[in-house]
Amino acid sequence: MSAADRGAWRLIAARDFWVRLRERSFLISTLLNLGVISVLVLLHASGGFGGTPTFDLGVVGGADVVAIADAAASLGRTDITVNVHIYPDTAAADAALTDGSIDAVLTDTQLYGLESVDTRLQALVQTSAHQAAVDAVFAEHHVPEAEREAASRADPLAVGALRPAPPDRPDNAAVAFIGVLLLYGQLFGYGMWVATGVIEEKASRIVEMLLSAIRPQQLLAGKIIGIGMLGLAQLLTIAGFAIGLALATGSGVVPSTAIWAALLVIGWFILGYAFYASLFAAAGSLVSRMEELQNVIVPINLTILVSFIISIGSLQDPNSTLAIVASILPVSAALAMPVRIVLGAASGWQIALSLTLLIGSAVAMVPVGARLYAGAVLRTGSRVKLREAWRAA
Amino acid sequence: MTGTILTSPVLELLDLHRRFRDVVALDGVSFAVPQGRIVGFVGRNGAGKTTAMRIALGVLQADSGEVRWRGGAVDTDTRRRFGYMPEERGLYPKMRVLEQLVYLARLRGTPKAEARVNAEGLLQTLEVVGDPGARVESLSLGNQQRVQLAAALVHRPELLVLDEPFSGLDPVGVDVLSGVLRRSARSDGAAVVFSSHQLDLVERLCDEVVLIDHGRIAAHGTIEELRASRARNLWEIRVRGVDGSWWDVIPGANRLHSDDGAVVLELAPTTDPQRVLDVARAAGDVLAFGPVRPSLQELFREVVS
Repeated sequence: MSAADRGAWRLIAARDFWVRLRERSFLISTLLNLGVISVLVLLHASGGFGGTPTFDLGVVGGADVVAIADAAASLGRTDITVNVHIYPDTAAADAALTDGSIDAVLTDTQLYGLESVDTRLQALVQTSAHQAAVDAVFAEHHVPEAEREAASRADPLAVGALRPAPPDRPDNAAVAFIGVLLLYGQLFGYGMWVATGVIEEKASRIVEMLLSAIRPQQLLAGKIIGIGMLGLAQLLTIAGFAIGLALATGSGVVPSTAIWAALLVIGWFILGYAFYASLFAAAGSLVSRMEELQNVIVPINLTILVSFIISIGSLQDPNSTLAIVASILPVSAALAMPVRIVLGAASGWQIALSLTLLIGSAVAMVPVGARLYAGAVLRTGSRVKLREAWRAA
Repeated sequence: MTGTILTSPVLELLDLHRRFRDVVALDGVSFAVPQGRIVGFVGRNGAGKTTAMRIALGVLQADSGEVRWRGGAVDTDTRRRFGYMPEERGLYPKMRVLEQLVYLARLRGTPKAEARVNAEGLLQTLEVVGDPGARVESLSLGNQQRVQLAAALVHRPELLVLDEPFSGLDPVGVDVLSGVLRRSARSDGAAVVFSSHQLDLVERLCDEVVLIDHGRIAAHGTIEELRASRARNLWEIRVRGVDGSWWDVIPGANRLHSDDGAVVLELAPTTDPQRVLDVARAAGDVLAFGPVRPSLQELFREVVS
């Protein structure tokens, strides 16, 4: 391989990078990403999600009912905030419930919400109602104060965990959510760019000119690297912007966590992109027109989409079997594993296994993609079958 | 046009075979292209021209056979010195003309500054109308065709392979391209191969003609050589003021056709044309007498029929 030969992929990569950088769709996608990130960061800073849950409880009834509500509010302590609002009748309370200013209504006979009642609020109210009933029985039988104390000594059970989750998990979950959203967008978006880039060259027939000068592997490598670098540059911009914004608004995110998460997202983007990009390129090379792209790209898109959904699910339960399996399998690891890492749920061996499998299969996927690409890229007209592409190379 | 090949071949195709499923595209194609010469590649549609050219360029692989450049195997480095104009024209439609030419030259290893000088020169030589900074898609089809030619030439190739370069060009464009091909071959010493169905053009421009038919080389040589090997011994005589078959007295002369006083005779190898002239002069006033030189068109028909 001569010096000029090695340089060919750089020229291809540079062209693909700069041409797309100047495209309007790149500018739009960058601005869109920055917009979404800003909203999420600001929402988090204002405690909009992931913070202390707050409930507004409407009360209709006498002093005893109000006492139950107040007792529920005090039971919530610092973990859950319950604001009590008193209404003259159920009609007023229902109106407040309908317009969303309260979450539930408590009367002397029932507790109800608009569609349902949050289980945490339910637990608090049920406990305090139960306590009130017990107190009433005690009062009726003139049980002495000391015995009442003994009977209702409601020292809560100490709650522990065998493997306690990191205390900052709610904040990390917010970071992980933003991270996995970004990862999904980048992997999908830049993979699609690789596929459409391949089709563009096929449709405009320039590919025959290019392949009379360089080898298909160089063209493929240049294209994947050029578009990947653009994705990376965009990701760095967005991550830098998000961290800056989070620090500026004092959203409670620990800077080191945010930077660590950003590095994770970038690292897993590189791995995931390396895995998917050659598949996207191979899929693109099978067809000659943009309209046909959808047909060949569906399996790859679905894989990425399902991985994304599993990752979002694992924000709630990062140690479910599904979350663990998805974070280890190479087809989904790029999206599912970083979430579990940020949440502190992935163990060392899981990360090591996941990385090994992903890097191994990405390395294995490149020649597979390149062979399909080389076998199919000069065949214009009808869609090329996978087997034909494989054999033609 | 010189009669014999003096320069040694630079490009050699050796016994190329290629099938597409059950269609045999090339069935043992061999020919050589010498340096500094223009070779016309002619044949009917589907005869195997494009397949042979693609294999020569390394864009397509042969099932068997070999392509050699200056006696050695063709690799990525040697292919950089080839220039190609595919049958399926192709450029990046949204890329700017000059930028695109410089890019394509650099892909073949030409330094950036040199590529730019070459590209600007070619756009002038090929009389491409329009701003070099314009996007390719904004040019007329004829101008796009000229840019495509510039793309094949921009790295100053030692071998030029052009698939139907003249199709779609106006008469001025044909003259410009002919001039460019002559200069590439004569001044720059490039070996030029192009396919065309415009046989009069091939006859005018080419030093040699390769005729391919059903994936096999049916004829190869200079036009004169093709005539010598293929043409029959035909003579045309125009005589005024004579009736009847005056040629009947000449042994070994057969009338092929005659009209309006002009007669075409096919002579046996032993028959002296001067004897025919003597008989004709005795019969009447000879207005014209000479050998019939079949055009490439006629040779082509004869070979492929």
